Amino acid sequence: MPELQKLYDAVLNGDQKTAVAITQEALAAGVDPMELITNYMVPAMDKVGSLFECEEYFVPELLLSARAMKGSLELLRPLLAAAGAQPAGRVVIGTVKGDLHDIGKNLVASMLEGGGFEVMDLGADVPPEKFIEAVRARNANIVCLSALLTVTMPAMRTTIDALKTAGVREQVKVMVGGAPVTPQFADEIGADGYSDNASAAVGLARKLVKQG
Amino acid sequence: MTLSRKRLQDSLAHRQPDRIPIDFGGSAVTGIHVSCVAALRDYYGLEKRPVRVHEPYQMLGLVEDDLRAAMGLDVTGVFPRNTMFGFPNSEWKEWDFRGLNVLVSKDFLVREEPGGDILIYPEGDPTAPPSGRMPLGSAFFDTIIRQQPLQEDRLDPEDNCEEFKPIGDADLEHLKTSVAAARGSGYGILATFGGTAFGDIALVPAPFLKNPKGIRDVAEWYMSTASRPEYIHRIFERQCEVGLQNLARVHAAIGDSVDAVFLCGTDFGTQSSQFCSVRTLKSLWFPYYKAVNDWVHANTSWKCFKHSCGSVEKFFETFIEAGFDIMNPVQCSAAGMEPEKLKARYGDRIVFWGGGVDTQKTLPFGTPEQVRVEVLRRCEIFAPGGGFVFDAIHNIQAGTPVDNIVAMLDAVHEFNGAQVNA
Repeated sequence: MPELQKLYDAVLNGDQKTAVAITQEALAAGVDPMELITNYMVPAMDKVGSLFECEEYFVPELLLSARAMKGSLELLRPLLAAAGAQPAGRVVIGTVKGDLHDIGKNLVASMLEGGGFEVMDLGADVPPEKFIEAVRARNANIVCLSALLTVTMPAMRTTIDALKTAGVREQVKVMVGGAPVTPQFADEIGADGYSDNASAAVGLARKLVKQG
Repeated sequence: MTLSRKRLQDSLAHRQPDRIPIDFGGSAVTGIHVSCVAALRDYYGLEKRPVRVHEPYQMLGLVEDDLRAAMGLDVTGVFPRNTMFGFPNSEWKEWDFRGLNVLVSKDFLVREEPGGDILIYPEGDPTAPPSGRMPLGSAFFDTIIRQQPLQEDRLDPEDNCEEFKPIGDADLEHLKTSVAAARGSGYGILATFGGTAFGDIALVPAPFLKNPKGIRDVAEWYMSTASRPEYIHRIFERQCEVGLQNLARVHAAIGDSVDAVFLCGTDFGTQSSQFCSVRTLKSLWFPYYKAVNDWVHANTSWKCFKHSCGSVEKFFETFIEAGFDIMNPVQCSAAGMEPEKLKARYGDRIVFWGGGVDTQKTLPFGTPEQVRVEVLRRCEIFAPGGGFVFDAIHNIQAGTPVDNIVAMLDAVHEFNGAQVNA
């Protein structure tokens, strides 16, 4: 039986190689995948988030931890699906049409995954119809929209309007973020929430899911 | 000396100038999108002709002397021979930029995809993989990441150093000619020579190279600053060595003819935080910044210009200690970047080249009156005692209403007039 605390440490320290190795050993030893996630990976990513918020960690460390966490999660995901485990929420995320910037979006996606959410990442330059299609296909309850440019911010409004027209707006909460986006802009375009960083986005998503 | 150049020099020396000097178009971080340059030319009733896209990555339009005079600007730019896509601006040709007729270099070779995205090729070579993409709905190119698979045990810092080489004779000749023309214009001069931007994330993917090797993926680079610091040090050491040799050659060619040199555009700030700790900035970047700035100060009269977007107030002491004279774009909307605080704490030690108006909200989306109010307030804060060059916070973005740009300029001139009459 591997020392499972090392999985926590590996995710916290952004050591993908060790995170994957411990996960493999744990699975071989018959450890429940949910135990790895709930007792080690989610707490490690929560700690990463708090270190980011108190400026001990920065974007590079966040990226490293997210990569380590994803390495383990790739091994666990098929097992979770087979066991019918319920995620904290089902998220569809993407950078809006016209915008290719994805680092912030990727971080939010990783942090949400680390927080126990099932995340479908549509990538960058995503047209509204792709969001609609994904919401329907995944029965999502959260949509996350990202934009870095002032010229592409209006595509957030277009996307939310398209969700309404398609009749799926009521089934999802919409979160927005990105450098030029503000809470006021989020209100104006009818989003349900705004976050200015990836760590806080997890807390926001949990809150929105609770609201139902 | 002309009034414009004296105005700039006074401000850079922290002496009260007769008016606040104004820069738009002097560099690739103080520029104007080509569509806005075209709109400004129309607004001021200048000769109708297509605008030159001198910086194709961000689609910046060349601010020529007639527009510079109409806008009442004080600074002109000197640019390196090659653009971000690795080709020189030469033998201009017309190009239909989604309905706007503009001029681009003969080597500006693009292909439109069926969905409307536009791809551009490095060094004007359509047989190479494209290195930039402008999606339909955007107005700028973004880099296409061309990361070869990484093998940890085979990583070689030399692979990331392909772009750092001795300046060529053609590049040197271009700089000499450009500086001579800029001197003749009578404006203050902001020059960009290239080669000293350590880890600028826009340059790491090397959109100017046909087949970049090494670490070229943006996220991989950021992670490497934390996980592979020795690898980054080896790159910076090599870059610094070559950069210093090139600066010496450039200085031998142009002397002290320029006022400021845009040395580094590496961004250290996000909207609400920083990309690293002060400790990392000091260990990973500071030695190279100090070496370059010390050389400049020991051998030239140039002022050292540093660009970093975002929330970087915590880094100001380190930037100053490293020898930077000028900070840009002074993103007052980012966390901890309140203009009053910046001026009070650092105003006598560093020049604020920017901070004039917000380009994420007020300038593109505000009313002309909101623009005027913000600009006047920023001038009141930053102008006293010099140490201020008026510029928006980064380039004027596509889609910005021309009335707002004019309201911004009118407000600076209003402030300058009031100051002159006082």
